[in-house]
Amino acid sequence: MALLEVEGASVDYGRGRVLDDVSLSVGEGEIVTVLGANGAGKTTLLRAIAGATRLAAGRVTYDGAPLDGLSIGERLARGIVLVPEGRRILISLTIEENLLVGAHQRRDTAAVRKDIAAIYERFPNLAQRRHMAAWCLSGGEQQMLAIGRAIVARPRLMMLDEPSLGLSPLFVNTLFGLIVELNRGGLTVLLVEQNAGKALAIAHHATVIELGRVVVAGDPRALQADPRLREAYLGQGDDAAAGPIEPILQRGTGV
Amino acid sequence: MIAQQLVNGVMLGAIYVMVALAFTLAIGILNFMNFSIPGLFMAGGMATWILIHRGVPWWAAAVVALIVAAAISLAVERLSYRPSNEGDVEVPLVSSLGFLVLLQSLVLATVGSDQQAFPAVLGDLNLRIGGLVIGAAQVLSLAISMVLVIGLTVALKSTSFGRQIRSIAESRETATLLGIDVGAVIPRVFVISAVTAALGGVLFALNYLQVSPFMGENVGFKGVAAMIVGGMGSVWGAVLGGLLIGVAEVLSIRLFGADTVDIAVYGLLLVLLVVRPQGLLGKPPAREKL
Ligand SMILES: Nc1ncnc2c1ncn2[C@@H]1O[C@H](COP(=O)(O)OP(=O)(O)OP(=O)(O)O)[C@@H](O)[C@H]1O
Ligand SMILES: [Mg+2]
Repeated sequence: MALLEVEGASVDYGRGRVLDDVSLSVGEGEIVTVLGANGAGKTTLLRAIAGATRLAAGRVTYDGAPLDGLSIGERLARGIVLVPEGRRILISLTIEENLLVGAHQRRDTAAVRKDIAAIYERFPNLAQRRHMAAWCLSGGEQQMLAIGRAIVARPRLMMLDEPSLGLSPLFVNTLFGLIVELNRGGLTVLLVEQNAGKALAIAHHATVIELGRVVVAGDPRALQADPRLREAYLGQGDDAAAGPIEPILQRGTGV
Repeated sequence: MIAQQLVNGVMLGAIYVMVALAFTLAIGILNFMNFSIPGLFMAGGMATWILIHRGVPWWAAAVVALIVAAAISLAVERLSYRPSNEGDVEVPLVSSLGFLVLLQSLVLATVGSDQQAFPAVLGDLNLRIGGLVIGAAQVLSLAISMVLVIGLTVALKSTSFGRQIRSIAESRETATLLGIDVGAVIPRVFVISAVTAALGGVLFALNYLQVSPFMGENVGFKGVAAMIVGGMGSVWGAVLGGLLIGVAEVLSIRLFGADTVDIAVYGLLLVLLVVRPQGLLGKPPAREKL
C-alpha cells in the first residue's frame, strides 16, 4: 500500500481548471518526481497535497486515511512537509529561528536541539551564521535552510518544489546528494523539478504533467532513454542529454 | 524644578508607551491600524470606575476591566478585521473607528458625558528621593509598562509563540504554508494589544484620578504619534516615542503654558519626522518587523 495516493485530483482557479484528474502514487521509501513545463500545475499539485489548495474533485489518501478537510498544520502533524517553491525563508528571522519555526509543532525541545545540531553539522555555512538574519544567505544556502527547516519538522513525506531552481551547479549536486541521503535514511520524497535529468536520475518513479494533466508516467530510466519523450515533455533536445547521471541510481525502481 | 518635571514626564510617557505599544503590535503584526485601541483604553479606565462604584475592590475591578477589553477586542477581530482579510486595508480601519465611536456612545449613554472623579485607591503614598516626589501610582505605571515591554520583547524573541507571531508579521502566506495556525494566533495578538491599551487606561485613572467617555482620544493621538516617531512596528520605538512625548509634553507645559502644549509637542514630532521619516528606531526600506 502506497504512503501517498492521489486519485483524480482536480483544482480550479477562477474559471480555469489548472489540475485535471491527476493520479499518482508514492510508495513508502520512494523518490517520486513530477516534471512538467512552466505552468503545468506542479506547484498546484503539491499545494493540494499539503492542504494549501482545495481540490475541486478527487481525493488524497495518506497512510491509509483520506486527508479531506485537514488543514496544513494537521497534515504537518501527520508527517507531510512541504519545502515550498521559492524557498520562502523568513528573512527577518535568524537562521536558527527559521529552523525552530520548522519545529513549531514539536514539544520535545531537547530532541529539536539535537536535530538542529545535526543540520549545523551537515551545513557548517548555516552553523557559522546561526544568529544572523536569514537574508544574509545565498540562494543555495537558503535552499539548505529550507530543507533543514523541513527536516526538523520530522517528516515522513517530504515534498520539494523545484529546489534546484537558481542554484549553482555545485549546489545542485549537493542538493541532489542530500535528497538521496535523506531518502536512504527512510524519508519518502515527492520531488517537483525543472532539472529533469538530475531528478530522473535519482527517482524510482516519474510523472510528467502538461497543462494540468498527466501525460506520461513510469520508469524514470525509460523516460530518460527515450529521446522523443525527452524532447516532447522535458524540453531537452537530443544531445542535450540530461548531463552525467550520478552513480546514485543503483537501486531498483520500486515501481 | 526641572528634575521633577522630567520624572512627571516619564510617568506620563509610560502611559503613552502602553497605547503606542498596542498600536504598534496591531500595525507590525497584523498590518492593521486599529482605531478601536483608544476605545479599549477608555473601556479599561471606565469599567474599573463603574465596578469600583458598585463596591468591587479596585484591583478586582481592574482585572475585570481588562477581561472586558479583551472580549471587545475579540469582537473587533471577528467583526471588523477578519471579514476584510482579503479585501481593502481601509475597510477594517474604518470599521474599527466605528467600534471606537460605538464604545464612546455606549459609555455616554450609561454614565453621561461628564468627567468622573476616580477614587484615590492608592492613597497618597509618596516616594521622596532628595527633593523629588514620586507618587505610588506613578511608580506602579512605570513598573507595569516596563515589565510589559520587557516581557513582550522576551516573548517575541525567545518563545515559539513569539516566533510564530514574527513569521506571520513577515509573511502570512509563508507562515500559513509552514503549518502555523494563523487563525488561532491572530486573536491572541488582539487580546495582547487590547490588554495593553486597557491597562494604560487603568493606570491613567489611578494617576490622574479622572475618567470620561472621551479619555481615549487625546491619549490615542499621542500614542499613534509615539508609535510613528519611534518607528512603526518597533516595540522599543514605541517605548522611546512614548517617553519622549511624555517628557516633551510636561516640559512644554512648564515652559510655554498649557495652551500651546500640543503645538510644541506635535511641532517637535514634525521636525523629528522630517529629519528621520522612518521614525527613530524604524528601518528605512523594509519596515522593521518587531
Ligand atoms: N493563485 C492562482 N490564481 C490563479 N491562477 C493560478 C494561481 N496559481 C497558479 N495559477 C495558474 O495555474 C496554473 C498552474 O500553476 P502552477 O504554479 O501549479 O504551475 P507550475 O507547474 O508549478 O509552474 P512553474 O514551473 O512555473 O512553477 C498556471 O497556469 C498558473 O497561471
Ligand atoms: Mg511551480
